[in-house]
Amino acid sequence: MKMAAEVVTIVRRNRPGTKAENWCSWVEESFEEMDSTLAVQQFIQQAIRKDVSNVDEILTPPDGQDEGVWKYEHLRQFCMELNGLAVKLQSECNPETCTQMTATEQWIFLCAAHKTPKECPAIDYTRHTLDGAACLLNSNKYFPSRVSIKDSSVAKLGSVCRRVYRIFSHAYFHHRTLFDEYENETCLCRRFTSFVTKYNLMSKDNLIVPNLDESQVLGGESDA
Amino acid sequence: MIEEGPVSQHGGQLGPIPGGIGMVTKQQDESGQRPQYSMPGILHFLQTEWARFEMERSQWEVERAELQARIAFLQGERKGQENLKQDLVRRIKMLEFALKQERSKYHKLKYGMEINQEDLKPPSFDKKNEDDQMDGEVLPASNSGVSWRQGRQLLRQYLQEIGYTDTIIDVRSARVRSLLGIQPQLSDNEREGGPPALVNGEQSNKRANELNRQMGKKVPLSIGERALLESEASILNTFDFLGTDGVVDDEDEDENLSDEDGMAADDESEERLEKRRSIKSVANEGMAGIDDVLADPETQEALSEFDFLVSESGEGAGEARSHGDGPEWEERKETSGEWHVDQQVLSKLKEQYKKERKGRKSRPKRATLQAMLENLGTEDDNSPNEDNDNSLPRTMADLPELDDAGVQRGSSILFRSDPRKQILGVPGSDDENSEAALGDLARLTVSNDSDPYDISAPKEVVFRKTWNAKYTLRSHFDGVRALAFHPVEPVLITASEDNTLKLWNLQKTVPAKKAASLDVEPVYTFRGHIGSVLSLAVSSSGEQCFSGGIDSTIRCWNIPSSNIDPYDSFEPSVLQDTLVAHTDAVWGLSIHSTKMQLLSCSSDGTVRLWSPGSKSPLLNTFTLDTDNDIPTSVDFVRCDPSQMVASYTSSNTYIFDIETAKQVLKLDTKQNSDASVDNQINCVVNHPTLPVTITAHEDRHIRFFDNNTGKLIHSMVAHLDAVTSLSVDPNGLYLLSGSHDCSIRLWNLDSKTCVQEITAHRKKFDESIHDVAFHPSKPYIASAGSDALAKVFV
Repeated sequence: MKMAAEVVTIVRRNRPGTKAENWCSWVEESFEEMDSTLAVQQFIQQAIRKDVSNVDEILTPPDGQDEGVWKYEHLRQFCMELNGLAVKLQSECNPETCTQMTATEQWIFLCAAHKTPKECPAIDYTRHTLDGAACLLNSNKYFPSRVSIKDSSVAKLGSVCRRVYRIFSHAYFHHRTLFDEYENETCLCRRFTSFVTKYNLMSKDNLIVPNLDESQVLGGESDA
Repeated sequence: MIEEGPVSQHGGQLGPIPGGIGMVTKQQDESGQRPQYSMPGILHFLQTEWARFEMERSQWEVERAELQARIAFLQGERKGQENLKQDLVRRIKMLEFALKQERSKYHKLKYGMEINQEDLKPPSFDKKNEDDQMDGEVLPASNSGVSWRQGRQLLRQYLQEIGYTDTIIDVRSARVRSLLGIQPQLSDNEREGGPPALVNGEQSNKRANELNRQMGKKVPLSIGERALLESEASILNTFDFLGTDGVVDDEDEDENLSDEDGMAADDESEERLEKRRSIKSVANEGMAGIDDVLADPETQEALSEFDFLVSESGEGAGEARSHGDGPEWEERKETSGEWHVDQQVLSKLKEQYKKERKGRKSRPKRATLQAMLENLGTEDDNSPNEDNDNSLPRTMADLPELDDAGVQRGSSILFRSDPRKQILGVPGSDDENSEAALGDLARLTVSNDSDPYDISAPKEVVFRKTWNAKYTLRSHFDGVRALAFHPVEPVLITASEDNTLKLWNLQKTVPAKKAASLDVEPVYTFRGHIGSVLSLAVSSSGEQCFSGGIDSTIRCWNIPSSNIDPYDSFEPSVLQDTLVAHTDAVWGLSIHSTKMQLLSCSSDGTVRLWSPGSKSPLLNTFTLDTDNDIPTSVDFVRCDPSQMVASYTSSNTYIFDIETAKQVLKLDTKQNSDASVDNQINCVVNHPTLPVTITAHEDRHIRFFDNNTGKLIHSMVAHLDAVTSLSVDPNGLYLLSGSHDCSIRLWNLDSKTCVQEITAHRKKFDESIHDVAFHPSKPYIASAGSDALAKVFV
């Protein structure tokens, strides 16, 4: 309510009845004004809404931001947005056509969500990976707080990134139309690639999806 | 088991008696020949005399055992009363302390300084005030103890006639005291120094002072006597109530008693009773002098107890007699000559004793208070035990055998009271103990007014449910917009801005670290919406759920089994159907409890009625004539299946006819809202049984409207910020509301008062709680927050 006194007219809410086009269409709040424990998420989402393609700005933390939390919140946001890609994949990627989680023919990825890693169909792998990531990233054990995160927990982000990236790569190599469609809307893969590169969460060898610039060049390529 | 041993023992004791009786009759026949002093005659006389004494002795034995049993019983009862008293005293202390604290707080606030430290010491035991208070309470209520006083006088006279001397009385008093376990118990208490002992000790000290004050005469009392006095005071006091308790419907008790008496129906046993009573009667006499001064009979009684020794030594037996009641006295005189004639008196005494017991049982509250009073005095008496030279050795000597017999007899004769004894016998009288004791007492005294007073007090607290967070549902990445429970199972579904819905089984919890709340992981994730999922409804069968999203669609899902493997393979058939007609975000859904009909409201300005699963699912569309009014929430009118209610961003609320899609009524929501522009209704629900519509407003209000007139019934500022969500419990007694002030509140719908407030979620931007829900059949409530969590309270 401090804020209400300060800026009487701005109450940042999506009230019932809000039109989709007005979703979150409020005046930006500076990071300093955000007194919530979810400030980092708010900041990231605000930046994404402002310009989804401005990856660099989205990935620029506010001054003095704890890097662990910053990475954690970004990864949450990636996983969340990947739900959108998963929804698209559900319509196209079925166990009959994509019996295994593959990108290039080089690797078959085993689904780590099971007690013994399993050769799940791609769509299951996608869902399981996202579900598992959701559980891990929300785990009270590893991430009890969204304000400060232990180093040992931050170390877990890398493996989440690696697994999640395979969804991009599978979509890119096997459902290219769908991937492009989604990438055009969200620039998610580009942002993700920049993110893992910037924070060194994955080795460059594993980043097999070509950069957006390259993919635009190779735009005529058909999906497998 | 319990009964067998004592019975056999009893039989053994009784064995000689028939023989003895036979001898007596023979002897009596022969006694007519006494004048012929022949050697055989003398021998025979001696023999018969001896036989008579033997018989009497055996009778005494029986009687003693009987008395021991009774004593054990009384002791148990006394302990129970002590426990009760301690409990009460403790409560009083607590209350007093709380009051003092409040006062000091007030004082501090008002004058800015601490109040006397003395006043604030935690429940220490300066009992006096309370005790006095209690005296005050008890005294006016008491009535004259004429009947038992008469009895006591009779007894006293009787005792004198049979030659019981004061010394014997003293001895007996000591014995009674020891039997009542005063000494051992007290010393135990002192040694243990446990809380009960402390209470006792403090009280007794105070009480002793008080006694001294009251007694005025200040005659040095031997400790044993005092102890006896006090132990008997309770009996006497309860005795007192005979007068009032004329009507006691305790037939069982009565029979039981008479049985017991029957077993002990011999002179000796009665004599013992009388013995005890005689002491009392003496005491009574002693008190006679003070009687006039003290208006209250019960006070008199109490005082008399303490004075009796004085009077006994000071006043003659003659005076005691003169106090005796006319008729009984006469009878007594007539019968006093021979042993066997005493039976009449004895039977009377028995009756009195029965009455006494009845009185005790029917009036435990009084008895309790009395016991409390007495207790105050008891403990004084342990330290100078040695004074009691006379009685103590005998007491010690007698104790072992008495205890054996007493316990065994007690268990056989008074088996009804056994459980009580067992419970009360446990000396460590902590909370539970006293509670248990109370419970037992209560059981014995069904018609007692102290019942609710003792037992319901703690229970009421228990029954008033407070909800506590038990489950935390973590797995969403962004704010949870809606949640709904399965109609039967402990299962719920959440809908989030992270594009998914999740199914949670509250029985599948993740072992929590150490927190009080359990973490739950979802068993299924529904992916289908593009963008945020905003609304949710679960069918009454629990087989389907419906979700509305910012993508304008309504998805119909077949709810997977709540025991599904979370990492099972993808089953496309979970998404059964997609209802497409809205052209903007679907913000509200409501499902009919019996008909398979679904209402949806969208920011495209329409409310739509669906029949999910049918070929053309869209049944009807409801629109307003006014432009730019967007429905925010819809609900069926629960007590009129042909109507539905919808609220709008303009803060108008309309009731529509479902069939005709026409407005039936416009509720006065707008008129009763603040004039400010931004006061939309965030949620509208209908009472499950009453024609009442409840609206949650952005202006922090919850308002209640009559569905028939549209008039405002009640309006209240319910939260510190916009009220976002409402849920009425299935019985229609409580209302749950959620607000962006981060709290959920539970309201009593009858009194419209807040029963509980729980701060449940954190803020994201200016949003906090999006939805709340009652489980339709189980004691769960849940809240959904913008912090991506859902919480379930039990």
